[in-house]
Amino acid sequence: MISFQQLEVRYGATVALKGISLGLEEGVVGLLGPNGSGKSTLLKTLLGLLDPAAGSGEVLGIPLGGPEAARLRARIGYMPEYDALVEDVSAYEQVAFWGELSGLSQEQARDRAHEVLYFVGLDEARYRNASGYSTGMRQRVKLAQALVHSPELIFLDEPTNGLDPYGRKRMLDLILKVRAELGTSVILATHLLEDVERCADQLVILDRGEIKAHGRMDALRRMLARRFEMRFLDPLKPEQEADLARIGQVLESRNGLYDVELQESDPRAPFAWAQEAGAVLVQLTPRHDRLDEVLIRALHGNGAH
Amino acid sequence: MPIYAPTLPPRAALNAGQPAWLVLARFDVRRILRQKLGRFFGFVFVFILAIRMGVLYVNHLLDTKAQLASVKDLAKEFLAQGASFQADCLPPWLLTVLWFQVAVVGGGLVARDTLHRVRPLMYAHPLRPLDYLGAKGLVAAGLPFLIQLPFVLLPWTASLLIAGLHGPIWPTAPLRLIPAALLISALMGAVTLGASSMASTPRAGFGWVLGIVLGSAALGGMVAGILGNPAWLAFSPGVLVTAWPELLCGVQAPKLGWVPALLGTGGHIAFWLWISARRTRPSEAVI
Repeated sequence: MISFQQLEVRYGATVALKGISLGLEEGVVGLLGPNGSGKSTLLKTLLGLLDPAAGSGEVLGIPLGGPEAARLRARIGYMPEYDALVEDVSAYEQVAFWGELSGLSQEQARDRAHEVLYFVGLDEARYRNASGYSTGMRQRVKLAQALVHSPELIFLDEPTNGLDPYGRKRMLDLILKVRAELGTSVILATHLLEDVERCADQLVILDRGEIKAHGRMDALRRMLARRFEMRFLDPLKPEQEADLARIGQVLESRNGLYDVELQESDPRAPFAWAQEAGAVLVQLTPRHDRLDEVLIRALHGNGAH
Repeated sequence: MPIYAPTLPPRAALNAGQPAWLVLARFDVRRILRQKLGRFFGFVFVFILAIRMGVLYVNHLLDTKAQLASVKDLAKEFLAQGASFQADCLPPWLLTVLWFQVAVVGGGLVARDTLHRVRPLMYAHPLRPLDYLGAKGLVAAGLPFLIQLPFVLLPWTASLLIAGLHGPIWPTAPLRLIPAALLISALMGAVTLGASSMASTPRAGFGWVLGIVLGSAALGGMVAGILGNPAWLAFSPGVLVTAWPELLCGVQAPKLGWVPALLGTGGHIAFWLWISARRTRPSEAVI
């Protein structure tokens, strides 16, 4: 779906993307990173709005920075992070406008605007001017304009920004529905790990213009399922600590507590090892739900897969 | 609980619509019409047009009614029928009101997109910068042209109907005045587009247009006065728009000569279009 090699994007002397390479498959991709990490620059480059200073790539089979950028954008939907609604125009009118701008005829765009606004749950309110909309409604109008021309790929930039828990759930449900029912691939740029965990099947962590980690979420979950906290009755001797590497990688140890990533997700292995090494294992706690640690490790060094 | 559609039906093929610049221009026109500015400006323009038609009819009466012969010579002073009378179809006071109109409407054309941060989203669609500029330019220049058109065509038609080929308005007047209106519109459109692209709100765009028109008139007037050369008045778009009807209708002592008018108009259009293009580039779009 998307691939790029040694992609470098500059703003004058500032290098925003530092020769990154990546290949993304169809599905929902979570793009995580702090402010200034290069997420927006990457999206702008993929949309064909910025020409790379070096490197190459393609989106949906169309080369980046080429003359076919306009054709590519007809196949992509984009939901910006900020309010990008025309305030003095109704949701229906503006979604129809975006549809026409993407290449639909006037009549098709009107029909499609009704359908897509209904799809995102904006019923009678679609005839009201956008200036009177709540944050949740505004987000749904933005999603509707991204979907109006049935793109193969949509970029969602912080789609749950400013939403209350109920609105957030509805938005995430919609994203899943877009993927499941329309088959549209989604790039979800966000700083909220929960959103990525809920929706994404691939993850990319970006920081300071570099890719710190990427991979499939199921692989990441499998890796996380191999992480355990282990406590022994007596502190391990140095040779026992060294021998522990036989069953996994010791990520952290403090006060007799060992954070270990096992080679297999079988919890019997630590007991077997303790018996062989003559140690008494008194606590074994699985650490399944620590995606935030992966992010922190990726952003602050200490290794990433 | 909202009712969601079971799913979204497949859409029709793309590339069935109008060109992107035309879609955007139509959308902008709808937004302008919704502002209901015609309630004020429409009245002003109709009032000006009514006066003009009245002058035309009085002129005709003076020419045809023997009873009015005694006032004819006096009236000729006010209602001359030469080149100046033709050029007066687009009089300076009409063009002043028109500057206000384009400042109100044109000043917000690009600035409103900047304010609502819509332009980056537009560029995320198959819209090229040239399409964007073309659409905005078409609206910015098209509006003053459409407003000027009745001021050229209605008196001309009335003159033909009342007095035939020898009426107060020359039969060839539209051939001179429509190009003048086109040049005026292009100049007004370029200035308002440039001003609007520099503004962050429509109100600021309005201020920029007036600032450019009045500021350049003051500066051009000062330089012209100091150097004793009226050609420097071409620095002002306000003076340039009043010069074109005079030049094209062949008025004997126009405010500006052909060379300063051409250089001034061409320079302004090129400069303000360049500013607009710079200010509306996709790289200026902050996503």
